[in-house]
Amino acid sequence: MDSTKLKQEIQERRAQMQSAPKEGVAGQHNMEELRKLQPRYRGLEAGHRACQGCGEALAARLVTEAAGPDVILTNATGCLEVFTTPWPQSAWRLPWIHSLFENSAAVASGVEAALKAQGRSTKVIAQGGDGGTFDIGFQALSGMLERQHNILYVCYDNEAYMNTGIQRSGSTPHAAMTTTSPPGKERMGKRHMKKDLLSIIAAHHIPYAASASVAYPADIRRKVRRAVSIEGPTFLLIHSPCPLGWGIESDISIEVARLAVQTGLFPIIELERGELTGVMPIRNPRPVTDYLKLQNRFKHLFTDDPRARKEREHVQALADHNIEIYQLRGEGVDALDTDGADTVRRGGVVD
Amino acid sequence: MKQLSRGAFALPGTSLDFKTGTWRNEMPVHTHWGAPCHVACPAGEDAQAYIAKMMEGHPKQAWEILVQANPLPATTARVCPHFCEQACNRKHMDQPIAIHLIERYLGDEAIKNNWAYPVDVSKEDGEPVCVVGAGPAGLSAAYHLRRLGHPVTLIDSLPEAGGLLRTAIPVTRLPRNVLDAEVGRLLKLGIDFKPRTSLGRDVSLEQLMGEHAYLFLAPGAAKSRHWSVDGAVPSDLREGLGLLKEWLVVGDIPKPKSVAIHGGGNTAVDLARVMKRAGVADVHVITASGLPGPDADPKDVLNVVPREFEQAVEEGIVFHAHRTIQRLLMRGSKLVGLEMVHLKKLPGAGGRSSRVAFEGTETVLHVEMVVPAIGEVVEPQGFENLLGHADYFKADPIGQIAGSDRVLVGGDARGDRGTVTAAIGDGRLAALAIHAKLTGGELPDPKRRPFIDYDKLNVNYFEPAARAVEPMLALEQRNDSDEIEGGLNFAQVTHEIGRCFSCGNCLACDNCWTLCPDNAVIKTVERAADGSHYVFDYEYCKGCGLCAHECPCGYIGMVSD
Repeated sequence: MDSTKLKQEIQERRAQMQSAPKEGVAGQHNMEELRKLQPRYRGLEAGHRACQGCGEALAARLVTEAAGPDVILTNATGCLEVFTTPWPQSAWRLPWIHSLFENSAAVASGVEAALKAQGRSTKVIAQGGDGGTFDIGFQALSGMLERQHNILYVCYDNEAYMNTGIQRSGSTPHAAMTTTSPPGKERMGKRHMKKDLLSIIAAHHIPYAASASVAYPADIRRKVRRAVSIEGPTFLLIHSPCPLGWGIESDISIEVARLAVQTGLFPIIELERGELTGVMPIRNPRPVTDYLKLQNRFKHLFTDDPRARKEREHVQALADHNIEIYQLRGEGVDALDTDGADTVRRGGVVD
Repeated sequence: MKQLSRGAFALPGTSLDFKTGTWRNEMPVHTHWGAPCHVACPAGEDAQAYIAKMMEGHPKQAWEILVQANPLPATTARVCPHFCEQACNRKHMDQPIAIHLIERYLGDEAIKNNWAYPVDVSKEDGEPVCVVGAGPAGLSAAYHLRRLGHPVTLIDSLPEAGGLLRTAIPVTRLPRNVLDAEVGRLLKLGIDFKPRTSLGRDVSLEQLMGEHAYLFLAPGAAKSRHWSVDGAVPSDLREGLGLLKEWLVVGDIPKPKSVAIHGGGNTAVDLARVMKRAGVADVHVITASGLPGPDADPKDVLNVVPREFEQAVEEGIVFHAHRTIQRLLMRGSKLVGLEMVHLKKLPGAGGRSSRVAFEGTETVLHVEMVVPAIGEVVEPQGFENLLGHADYFKADPIGQIAGSDRVLVGGDARGDRGTVTAAIGDGRLAALAIHAKLTGGELPDPKRRPFIDYDKLNVNYFEPAARAVEPMLALEQRNDSDEIEGGLNFAQVTHEIGRCFSCGNCLACDNCWTLCPDNAVIKTVERAADGSHYVFDYEYCKGCGLCAHECPCGYIGMVSD
């Protein structure tokens, strides 16, 4: 489905909805009380200032839900830090500390060492965006892993410096448009490839590292629980769409995240001691254009420019390469493959 | 807002002081759309609702939802063409849900466990109503009138209630113990049932009008339509419905070497199968309609339950589609064959379609017997004043007729129905209409509600799963007394209900609750006022639309705020 058709359909659907009878709009519930009764831990509370449809806010909510409440968080500079803690408020219901852009892992290392000295078992989770992880905070992260701190590092990967206005990062995928990788006469978006961070992490031979996507929340929860239960450094890379930075409608950020996985552009894998130990198989691989077409950051790939075709083929080749090297192609139906992992049932997902 | 001194820490969760709901220009709302199965059911059964109850693990409550519309589910599960399954959105992914088998399971469980209708039998504070005809429409009307508290007199000319369910449907499709159990349970609701009471003979319309506030007429269509081929009729002609009745009551059926049955409805197909099993070697069905198939126009095909047609073909019935009988070949007064000709319904002048026979396509079929089964009309005895010279009653969708505002009509007597399920729906609508008239309420609205299309669902969240298959008697095991199709066991039913998309209604899957980045979807402890399990906290909802887009069932929609 192309993006204009999808947008048109969404518009049509909204028009229909407006004419449909409304139910349950009136607030018969005491929301304040009900909020307290939620049958899940709330690590990141409402009222934060993330944009509509923010993938990172969702990912952070899911991570803290699965990990909390005996957790201390550190944060690199970035959207997550800014939108959760506008002075003097905090959206976190956990101890949380932010110092600088580059030192989330270093601060976490210190917190962990102090807890260890006190003989406490509270888990430390360091958080950062892709800028704070792939680029600016990378040496602190590498040091943290090398010193074998008992920390889960979570990178919310939205593939550019969104907080400062969408500049390219080491994580920005090939051919994507950012304000510092604009398409034009010389280039079709970013020239370089997305940094293969997980391979670098793998080279540290840590007990557990994995990628995940906000499109598969049960998978995130499972991986977080796995990671925090491990004594030692663990790493989680969560693909988190940014509606503003990627140029998508706020309501399709999950759809786009799901397509990133189903096309093979964002492989969902697990590594133990640097070895590949698990993947989420793709049941029916989708063409990358299904993913690219929905996003304005790739709209230059759908022009008459002869380079556009070449770049589309290039991105398809990158996806095919991922599918090949991680053996993502599923064999038949698997309850935990890209089609099965998000299957819903009455009463919610049992995971 | 809690004021903190500069340099102090922020309290966790204090962002709740900031109401991000003010950012919103669109808001999510829960909207219960009609499910296609519900909208398609002529009886008004909400399959989505009772399947949901089954999923929650309450089969008895599921059955109670079912009988809110249809008091005879074990019966309709066996005889209805299942409009619900033809409409089911699941067909776009793999195969429709086997709704009729779920209905059958619930209906059979109710009989097995003696479940009682959720009706207060002691309530009799309404006005007396008389129902004429104890077929599906009459039984349904009587049931719904009792539900609403009206004393009901039900009269029928036959010794037992059931109408054509008893006189025209073979026991191989509808075992009589099932019918007896459902009808018996219904009649025990305090209905004054008067069998062997013929209108025009034992009681007059005027008399009934004098004794009751309203009448509901559901006499069915019991008189065979006149049949001849250019005026020629074999001297020993028997018509289809009469033969079928005779076979059901007496157990006797003529056994010529070969027979041609003329007609394209359930009577024709049922009779063909009965005669084949009785030992008639060649059984032909000649019909002006087309046969069901992937490319067939649904308006042009045989008016039978599709799987009945398949079973008939399996059993060796020969169908001659798009044909009619042009001439009877007689030797003296004895039939030796007939001449068939191709024909088609084509649009003619003035928008009326007419049947056109094509010259040069004549073929001769050697048969010893021809049986017309081309439909039935109302037996006018007792209704002469209301019916005039018409074959059927002309009624509006809820059964009101011109000529009397205290008489409503439903079922086959209307001429524009044709299934047991439609008759049951007529009975329900008429009962609601009578109740509304008596209490000054609003008349029921028979218009079909809009339902939710497949493309409004988010099917990423469902997986393909094969439809459960019911057991069926093998060809050589089929006889005159055993039911051909079986039901599903509990495990199969559980599998089948798990395939439901819950179109247009909350599935309670937690998706909105799990995927809201703003913690603005709140799960309710008790079921929320709108019937779902979640409420939106509009204080914080930014209106991103994620929950609506990711709702598997199309239950959440965005409206401007």
